[in-house]
Amino acid sequence: MYGMVNKSVQALVTTTFGIDKWESIKRKAGVKEDVFLSNESYPDSITYGLIGAATEVLGMSADEILFAFGEFWILHTAREEYGDMLSSAGRNLPEFLEYLPMFHIRVALIFPNLKPPRFECSNRKADRITMHYFSHRPGLSVFVRGLFSGVAKLYNTPAQITQTKFKDKGDDHDEFLVYWGDAAKQ
Amino acid sequence: MTQADFMIDREQFSKLFPFHFLLDANMRVLQTGAVLARICPQFCVGQELNDHFSLFDLSSDRAKRITPELISRRQTGIFIFESATSNLSLRLQAIILRDPERYLFLGSPWVRTLKQMQLLQLVMNDFALHDSTVDLLQMTQTNDIIKRDLYQLVADRTAKLSLANAELSRVMRSKDDFLSAMSHELRTPLNAVLGLSESLAEGVYGEMNAKQAQSINTIAESGRHLLSLINDLLDLAKIGAGKMELELNNANMEDVCQASLRLVLGQAQKKNLNLTLAMNDKSVMLMADERRLKQILVNLLSNAVKFTPDGGSVTLETMWDLESESLMFSVRDTGIGITTEDLKRLFSPFTQLDSKLSRQYAGTGLGLSLVLKLAELHGGSVTVESEIGKGSCFTLRIPGKGLENAIRGGDKGAVTISEISPTKILPSNTPLVLVADDNEINLITVSDYLRANQWRVIQARDGLEAVKMARQHAPSLVLMDIQMPQMDGLDAIVHLRADNQYAKIPIIALTSCAIGGDRERCMAAGANDYLSKPVNMKQLVKIMHALLPKDETR
Ligand code: HEM
Repeated sequence: MYGMVNKSVQALVTTTFGIDKWESIKRKAGVKEDVFLSNESYPDSITYGLIGAATEVLGMSADEILFAFGEFWILHTAREEYGDMLSSAGRNLPEFLEYLPMFHIRVALIFPNLKPPRFECSNRKADRITMHYFSHRPGLSVFVRGLFSGVAKLYNTPAQITQTKFKDKGDDHDEFLVYWGDAAKQ
Repeated sequence: MTQADFMIDREQFSKLFPFHFLLDANMRVLQTGAVLARICPQFCVGQELNDHFSLFDLSSDRAKRITPELISRRQTGIFIFESATSNLSLRLQAIILRDPERYLFLGSPWVRTLKQMQLLQLVMNDFALHDSTVDLLQMTQTNDIIKRDLYQLVADRTAKLSLANAELSRVMRSKDDFLSAMSHELRTPLNAVLGLSESLAEGVYGEMNAKQAQSINTIAESGRHLLSLINDLLDLAKIGAGKMELELNNANMEDVCQASLRLVLGQAQKKNLNLTLAMNDKSVMLMADERRLKQILVNLLSNAVKFTPDGGSVTLETMWDLESESLMFSVRDTGIGITTEDLKRLFSPFTQLDSKLSRQYAGTGLGLSLVLKLAELHGGSVTVESEIGKGSCFTLRIPGKGLENAIRGGDKGAVTISEISPTKILPSNTPLVLVADDNEINLITVSDYLRANQWRVIQARDGLEAVKMARQHAPSLVLMDIQMPQMDGLDAIVHLRADNQYAKIPIIALTSCAIGGDRERCMAAGANDYLSKPVNMKQLVKIMHALLPKDETR
């Protein structure tokens, strides 16, 4: 994955737990890089290694970390670094989600080595939408739930995100229901 | 309808061209795309184009009216229409339709950044998917991020570099300080090694067998070699730090040459070399630092002796070089010679250390670079010519004129000049010490130490010279070696004490013989204090301070 992803993991760890924890995570993961360059492509194993080491060093479960990372990616990294790109993708939560299938395709034009996920929407209603997530990478569905949660927070829209299909339980792909109706406000 | 013809309804057309509009022959709106209608609601059916937009023309600042003629004339070009009421500009292509006459404009907003896009209330999805405007905007945005990333990286590295640079210059500065401090530190114990091995060799601690004597000789020889290396190192460090000060005197060159030759005579005799001095003007005087000049010549001469096979010859020749107004000292040998390639690197310190040359010329690496530096400090130069198997000729040139200009202060006695920082000149009220010793190494060692500790130093090499120098320069203090040729130290002290003017001058006797009763003899002769060699320099300086009249101590 591109360096921006690892950089974001780094930012999440250093801002919430401090630089020392990040150094031990890097050491534990056997990562030699001093700095990650946003537009440089790194092996996925580095990112997975960092997350794995973080569970040990921080004493958190992988799910906790992945969810937090999902929210952090949207609310900090994407908002701070690619804020215009993010806010140009929709004026509100549903508009944004409907545009998401196109999003990484445009990003791919910029990053030639991108192996982005694919999103599809279906069943759009006034208060909900079903999001389908396809990826050749395993184990990231909790991260995606964190991402949706982050996007909802970005638009100040209380929302419930429920995973309705699980690839790791034999489903064809992961599926999420994003609901922003009145019941989500409580 | 032919196969290539197809129908497309208004909604589909609007999806493909969300910013399009269609005008009649009077430039009135017939139809607009959905997104344009949203962001520009006043521009609706029946409105006249020129009431809402004008033509942006790079070549004039006056907005142009848009007419059918103008459109026809420019129909192959790009049209930029600027809104009269908002920041919106549209980048368009015109298509002219006939029967009825219609003007169709296709395109999208002309924006440079995603921010600008947002200000127009537009999101990415408002653009047709075939329109690559959004991709371009994302690309420029990302380029900015990449640029910022790189700037950050560069700034990061620059900061690290300048930190390293500051550290480096600090290290460089302290390197010279360290070297000179270290050299002094090294010389003190070495003095003990040399002094004691000398005493051992002289049988002070009892007779030794031949093997022991030989070993002691080797120790002393190695010690002297080490000392000369340390001295060279110290000198190089001093020069590097701009702290080397020449003591320029009007010096007799024959004396200098003779003295230099004397120092390599033993070496030369061992190898049965023919050592000659050829001067075309024996009375020639030169403004130079005598001690440094000797150092240069001894260095060149001992190299020549070292690399000349048994039975060969080494010549020191002097003559005026009128062209450069300098005195040339040529040291010629019949030695092994140096290859052209090695000649180039001969004078650079350390660089030759791992070459074949350095192994061959072991121990000369520092010497020659010091020779060159010292010559340059005099405003002179060193050149070398050589032929493999035939020998080498090193030529030192010291300017005979012009150098006087460099002298600051009066013309009496020793004048200290500083090549680099004039503030380093020792004020003439710093105490002047006369050091009398026939042992060149001791003389240099003690003098160097004292100079480094801010004393002015004059030197004598025997008792007679000591008395003469004392009368001439009226030093504040005298360090007197006891065993000296011509007149020994005890006699010299007696001579000085006999003269009313020098009856009170503090004299410290130094002797390498730790024989009982030595002290009494020195004190009886008139010395104020007594130290046996090897001398502890710190102790010596302490005693010197104690003996100086109060107004002269610093
Ligand atoms: C400006 C915003 C965004 C940028 C620049 C961006 C860029 C990227 C990049 C560079 C990767 C790594 C893929 C690779 O290097 O091969 C990635 C992965 C991913 N992105 Fe985004 N992204 C953005 C927003 C989002 C949003 C809003 C979502 C979903 C709500 C999302 C979902 C994902 C997921 C799930 C992955 C993991 C890779 C996978 O599943 O295969 N991204 N993105």
